[in-house]
Amino acid sequence: MKGPFLRSPQSTRGLMIQVLIAATPALIAAVVRLGAPAAAMIVSAVAGAVAIEALVHRRQLGDGSAVVSGVIVVLLLPATTPPWLAALAGATAIGLGKAPWGGLGKNPFNPAALARAVLMVVLPAHFFAPMWRWDAVTAASPLSKEVGATAPGWSALILGDVPGCVGQAAPWTIVLGGLILVVLRTIDWRVPLAYLSTIALIAVVLPGGARVAGHAPWLIGDPSIHLFAGGTLIAAFFLLTDPVTAPMSATARVGFAAVAATATMAIRQFTPYPDGAVLAVLVANACTPWFDRVTVERRITPPRAKRSRG
Amino acid sequence: MSKLGERLATLLGLSAPVPTRKYTRDAAIVVLPPPAQVRLALTGLEAVVAAGDEVAAHALVARSVPGARWQRRIHTPLGGRVESIAGAVVVRGAPTSAAAAAVHRDPATLDRDAIVTAARDAGIVGLGGGMFPTYAKLTATHPIDTVLVNGCESEPYFTCDHRVLAEHRDEVECGMALAVRAVGATSSAVIDREDYYPAGYERFVVRDRLGREVPPRHLPRDVGALVLNVQSARALHRAVCLGEPLVSRVITVAGGAIARPGNYQVLIGTAVDEVLAACGADATSAAMIIAGGPMMGHQISAGDTIAAGTGGLLAMTAAEVAARVEQPCIRCGRCVDACPVGLPVPLLIERPGPDVLTCFGCGACQYVCPSAIPLAALMRAASAREIRWD
Ligand code: SF4
Ligand code: SF4
Repeated sequence: MKGPFLRSPQSTRGLMIQVLIAATPALIAAVVRLGAPAAAMIVSAVAGAVAIEALVHRRQLGDGSAVVSGVIVVLLLPATTPPWLAALAGATAIGLGKAPWGGLGKNPFNPAALARAVLMVVLPAHFFAPMWRWDAVTAASPLSKEVGATAPGWSALILGDVPGCVGQAAPWTIVLGGLILVVLRTIDWRVPLAYLSTIALIAVVLPGGARVAGHAPWLIGDPSIHLFAGGTLIAAFFLLTDPVTAPMSATARVGFAAVAATATMAIRQFTPYPDGAVLAVLVANACTPWFDRVTVERRITPPRAKRSRG
Repeated sequence: MSKLGERLATLLGLSAPVPTRKYTRDAAIVVLPPPAQVRLALTGLEAVVAAGDEVAAHALVARSVPGARWQRRIHTPLGGRVESIAGAVVVRGAPTSAAAAAVHRDPATLDRDAIVTAARDAGIVGLGGGMFPTYAKLTATHPIDTVLVNGCESEPYFTCDHRVLAEHRDEVECGMALAVRAVGATSSAVIDREDYYPAGYERFVVRDRLGREVPPRHLPRDVGALVLNVQSARALHRAVCLGEPLVSRVITVAGGAIARPGNYQVLIGTAVDEVLAACGADATSAAMIIAGGPMMGHQISAGDTIAAGTGGLLAMTAAEVAARVEQPCIRCGRCVDACPVGLPVPLLIERPGPDVLTCFGCGACQYVCPSAIPLAALMRAASAREIRWD
């Protein structure tokens, strides 16, 4: 037997556990702010994801990736999602986002982002009604183009007094989880850094006239809302950093994050959708094969014509 | 760094991709007493003694078969009686027999031919693991301008080259001066760095030191450099100046099952189990014995012997070499980042091409893979197929 006989302590299962640990502060914040319904959503979504995984790839259950998809999809759901819809979201993440492609490592799109996008198309009524509700107060997302929404301050953005999805219950918990992932080297720090800084840059340089008529005026010129509201932070730390759907080379991942940031801002500014982060993740995922082709695959010397034997 | 500190650093992701563990850095070289017998393998060689002969220590016992491309010679570290020449020359030591008295030659008086002849006759080979005859390196027709003596430890755990450099620097530098004289180089340097794995790989030594890239499937000599292992340089000095053939080397003995890890000077041909016993190996906790390092070494059995290229022995506990269940590739790219020659490892395993021959088997990709895919083994298999089709 030949070497190497040593192995890095980092395992794929360990990576999944680290993501779950990193998501825990955000889940706790959601339960604190929303109460039992949030707990019911988490349980249902994970159950939905695990159930499909058990049906299709029973032997892969142990790697924990189904649980991760279930937890992440909860972060992306509106705060008023009923348990059945959360379960459906979890089941969609695995049943549509992962299993048909051949299981772990084969899916081109992030399962949680795909599930959220598909359900948004199938059940728009649930996703677009102004149902965001914190502490029993219903309001519209500041990213929505609703006239009634108001510009939030910094403290509201960081502590989470901004209407949004479950993962926005307390944005600082997402940042905390993200930092845990960076420190543990679960994720590549370049991805959130490139994504968030490109978003901030675009928000600052975007000319005032570049917005669609009727959009709230604070969407131009102030990066804070673009960074902390909507799914920006979740995308930065939990979606774009999914190893399966991001490019393999570190350089390419920076470009990949920049594509996601540009797409996020384009959707926010030029379409009626309130939040472009999840769709932008899918756009960036779609570019991953191209990034891989121009970076790692480039390094391959084409095979020489094989001399025929005999 | 302490084990705990290292574990913490790994947990926090602060350590280098492949840890450069050096527990035996300060362990001075201990000379092990000669074994009762030595066993010198005869691959590609023919014995010049017969069973039953009495031989003096350091006597020539085997040489290359006629017509061989390179001349290799093996001398017996022990004086005594030749027990067998079947497959290997086995010499059982006799306490009375002494080695021939050392000669003392002044290196400044020697010309190229004298150096090359002495290196050839003493059977000096690359002690970094390659075991390529050193005299052949010294007679290469390529113009060589720089001699580099490689003291970068090639593997985690290993510190023997570092210790040789710390304790016998004058001998190493004399060997380097002899090599410079033999190839007509204009500059030389001893390189001692171990900040990343695999800094000790020849082409990286040349790149890091001289800024010259050795193209794939070329050798350092193609870019005007000669790289000698620290212990080869020392052996060259001892052969040329003292007339001593290659009969011993310094190895690192380490691993969780060793009570007294350290650096030991051993006679070539000593049985592995004897060396391990002398270092306090715990036979029950040693799950695996490895010759060479934990990255590029190979598993051996206790009955094998120390060869000239054996840089060390590791007796690993089950926990140290625990296997993990293989999982699907998650395309995380860690292997691609870790590969020192930048190979797109998973893509090459899916679709092997000529690039697999660039892989030199360092194992860094396999080390970092969180899915525990045996990438280095798969790359080796792909290279073997590529060579067969070539
Ligand atoms: S592909 Fe070969 S050279 Fe590259 S890291 Fe793996 S073993 Fe080392
Ligand atoms: S390190 Fe392992 S899991 Fe990651 S891309 Fe390489 S082969 Fe796949």
